[in-house]
Amino acid sequence: MFCEKCGSRLVENARFCGGCGAMVAAYAPAPPPIQPPAPVPAYVPPSVARPLPSPAAPPPAAIVRAVRCSWCGSPLDASVTSCPGCGGSVAEMALATHSGWLQLPGRKDMAKLQFGQSTCQIEGIYVPVADFKLAPGDSVYFAHHALLWKDSALAITTMPLKGAWKRLFAGMPLIMTQAAGPGHIAFSRDAPGELIAVPIHPGQSVDVREHLFLTATGNVVYDWFQTGVWFSTKNGDETETHYPVGAFMDRFSGTQQPGLLLLHAAGNVFVRTLAPGEAMLVKPTALIFKDPAVQMHLHFEHPQTGFTSWGRWSNRYLWLRVVGPGRVAVQSAFEHLHGEASYMQGHSYATETRW
Amino acid sequence: MSTAAEPFERLQCQWCQSLNEKSALACRSCGAPLDVRNLVSESGWREAPRIRDMTEIHFSSSTCQVEGEIVPVAEINLSPSDAIFFEHHVMLWKDQTVPLTLMALTGGFKRAFAGMPFLISVASGPGRIAFSRDATGELVVLPLHPGMELDVREHAFLLCSHQIQYSFIRIKGLANILFGGQGMYMDRFVTAGAPGLLILHGYGNVFERVLQPGETIMLEPGAFLYKDSTVTMDVEFQKLGTGFFGGTTMSLARMTGPGRVGIQSMYVHHKTE
Repeated sequence: MFCEKCGSRLVENARFCGGCGAMVAAYAPAPPPIQPPAPVPAYVPPSVARPLPSPAAPPPAAIVRAVRCSWCGSPLDASVTSCPGCGGSVAEMALATHSGWLQLPGRKDMAKLQFGQSTCQIEGIYVPVADFKLAPGDSVYFAHHALLWKDSALAITTMPLKGAWKRLFAGMPLIMTQAAGPGHIAFSRDAPGELIAVPIHPGQSVDVREHLFLTATGNVVYDWFQTGVWFSTKNGDETETHYPVGAFMDRFSGTQQPGLLLLHAAGNVFVRTLAPGEAMLVKPTALIFKDPAVQMHLHFEHPQTGFTSWGRWSNRYLWLRVVGPGRVAVQSAFEHLHGEASYMQGHSYATETRW
Repeated sequence: MSTAAEPFERLQCQWCQSLNEKSALACRSCGAPLDVRNLVSESGWREAPRIRDMTEIHFSSSTCQVEGEIVPVAEINLSPSDAIFFEHHVMLWKDQTVPLTLMALTGGFKRAFAGMPFLISVASGPGRIAFSRDATGELVVLPLHPGMELDVREHAFLLCSHQIQYSFIRIKGLANILFGGQGMYMDRFVTAGAPGLLILHGYGNVFERVLQPGETIMLEPGAFLYKDSTVTMDVEFQKLGTGFFGGTTMSLARMTGPGRVGIQSMYVHHKTE
């Protein structure tokens, strides 16, 4: 017999697990069946998350305390160990830095997410797989290269995108593919990292940096827009335009029903909610997503130095300045930004600090 | 508890079916932890056992220690009577005194043409030699029992003990060569009389599923890692239309049971796509 919580082998007739201290299922009060998450009337910022009672001592079944997930705001039943909305481990929730960044709660392997009548199980640690069990009527769409496997009977069709030409030039996936239930289909990316589940509540939108999208449920509206964040560099006669957060950004919006968006991020993931007018400087390639209300533009910082003849580029740092109100999420492993240290000929709107 | 019944109380490893002492925490033959439950998804994929750091595995009269977790190392301590073979680019370090030889292979020219190393190196005991691959992933330890035949994605095998016969098969069909993405060859490992050890490396996480006779599953070809030779693999195409330029074609591998299929979650991109 094994512990249902941590998987340790149990001593015969044990009431508690020697590994994690959880009560053995045979002795614990029967947990209520997992209900599909009720529609959330409005998005609740993560700061309202309250710590749960210690998992070592599950409360009697009579007291069912609804708390919200610190990451996605989904309501949590006291009986669940992972959030049904995003798969975050309840025990690791509300892990915030002193500076106010909230860490994406760790995820137990095989954590299950629920949306509509369908479920998604997230499997693996290094390069996680999103394994969907689609109910009849539910669908997902995805960039076709993210597909890992599917039931033979499940059909894949394409969905048209507006402005496909522009996307082609920007090197983004030209074709968005979709699959409708019933059946199983699974996705993964081709790089180590973390799967981020972002439940999209009705009326809510989120802007995602390009190439991070893995899959979304059919009831999430997909759109894209130009970021308008760029700078151009000159090397000899060659001028090159760079887009620190990509020329385009993906925008995902909720409709009447709550939807689910899965993103792929490298390293660890942190999120914070900016107050109106509150600004933060982040590395452009570290940005994962932001609320549409969050404005962003370039910011140059010139550290104070005793000498100035070091060329035009050597003492200038490039940031993305994000201004609230709204959420901003960043990843700890980010790509190198090309052109950052070259001679800059022009750029989009930017602020500046000279020390 | 009678002592006579004691020898029968053995724990069977659910990954490799080897029998272990009741007190064992990890399988002697494949390193799978015996004190944690299997991680099986609702769709029937079983995660390859996550081998604990520093676990020791026994094969023939030699041992293998699995070290590290993100890019794991397989460190072999060869006994004088044992040998292992491998592709030379996975070697990490070795004792100076461990002799290296080359395995004679037929059809080497064709393989070199296909971009595969047609030289398979052999290290003989006694001594230590260690192997690792160049990316985040998992070691898949597959003790092969007599009569087993396993087909493995090219370049995915890390090492194999000398009791196992190695050959390669050409995947038939032009479509496979040009578009299927699986390449032209698969490595085939066959056990004759004695059991042996095969260690693969999968990119990302590795999952296994047992297909019933006639049961099928569609795989991204780059995700394929290994299969029993009883499982057939056919490449199918799906046209994805965009309304102009005729769209693009997506290829998927149809795997048909009976037998095991192993996949890796970080798939390989192909230049032909």
